Amino acid sequence: MSPRPQIDHIRRPQILDAASQVIAERGIAATRIADIAERAGTSGPALLYWFESKDELLGEALGFAEQGFYDALTDRLLLLERPAERLRLLIEASVYDYDWTLWMELWTRALRDERTAETRHRLDERWRNEIEREIAAGQAAGEFAEHDPPGRVAAILASLLDGLAVQATLGDPGFPPDRIRELTVEIAERLLGAELPELDEEVLEGLSGPQLLAGGERG
Amino acid sequence: MPETREEHPTRERILDAACEQIAAEGIDEVRIARVAMRAGASTALVHHYFSTRDELLAEALMHSFELAGDDRFGPEGDQAEPGSATERLARVIDESMPRPGHQEREWILWVELWLRAVRDPALRPIAAQLYGRYREWIAEAIAAGVESGEFEPCDPGEVADHAMALFDGLGLRALLEDPAMPLQLAPVRIAELLGPRLGVEPGLLVLERD
Repeated sequence: MSPRPQIDHIRRPQILDAASQVIAERGIAATRIADIAERAGTSGPALLYWFESKDELLGEALGFAEQGFYDALTDRLLLLERPAERLRLLIEASVYDYDWTLWMELWTRALRDERTAETRHRLDERWRNEIEREIAAGQAAGEFAEHDPPGRVAAILASLLDGLAVQATLGDPGFPPDRIRELTVEIAERLLGAELPELDEEVLEGLSGPQLLAGGERG
Repeated sequence: MPETREEHPTRERILDAACEQIAAEGIDEVRIARVAMRAGASTALVHHYFSTRDELLAEALMHSFELAGDDRFGPEGDQAEPGSATERLARVIDESMPRPGHQEREWILWVELWLRAVRDPALRPIAAQLYGRYREWIAEAIAAGVESGEFEPCDPGEVADHAMALFDGLGLRALLEDPAMPLQLAPVRIAELLGPRLGVEPGLLVLERD
């Protein structure tokens, strides 16, 4: 093995971007380090200079994809003032601007790999905190009912979105993504005793559409 | 044991071995040779019953959920058990949680199926079929309560969609030992959401456990 591979021409974000694409397409089991290296325009050894294992790459790639998701979300959130609208946007974004396949990879790996379990927990916590913040703001502003603590409602909504995404992905082909949104909004409204109003086209424009199935077979 | 299961004892043994292997190491790690060894069969015999590895895996998952389903949905299952519709729904919730033992094992296989079906379109009809059966099991328990007047009038299918999503979403977190959703708490949260919807005291939807 050469002492130090040529890595100067390649950056971490490029590798992570390539990794998230390849893993989402094929699944981590069928992904070889060489495939990711090829997509990123580098070599296997160069890639292993940055990452120890495929599991580490999966965790990092998902973190990277999540960061992209949050960056886009933050821009949109700036357009909205009311917590009810902002919470609605979080729900819409997770339904229409999100690739769940990497999460499913993470769940199965997390069952058996402790580090992956920690990564899952960290990423999930961030998402729950995002929801919790809007709920707390809505309660403080008197827009939302206060009988449930924000963290509890956030945990329920995040869980519900996961469960519905699985259903829409695997269950009845007649279960459209719109239905995930409807069912989640309905529960949120019931728990918070407030309406989560529909958002303007302007805010939703460019949400890239349902990404519930891998490999371009989106329903 | 029922006769149907004795017809192909070797086939059953291979399927059980495959399920154990999937639960222990994940579906991607399953090798035919190891399944054969665990089942006390030869690799050739495994190939006699299942022409490909994918076929074995799909059949193994189906087999596991069918056994679980026979316990739950069959004539020996819920319908025959005495008690109110409220108790029946409480049992549905309880049995849908990843409790240690066979429920936890089924849950692991269930999560493996999710991922596998995303990757393999051939498995999707099977997944859809299993989901359909699961949904029906929940919806029937709800419909029974509406009919008996224990639950407020509602669309059982719609409440079942909500219930199933809560079982999967909260159950997954409990399975992964997420501190935000411990196993004891998941059914309580589910009951708190479904109870008011059905006009039932949430506490009645949680089975008492030691």
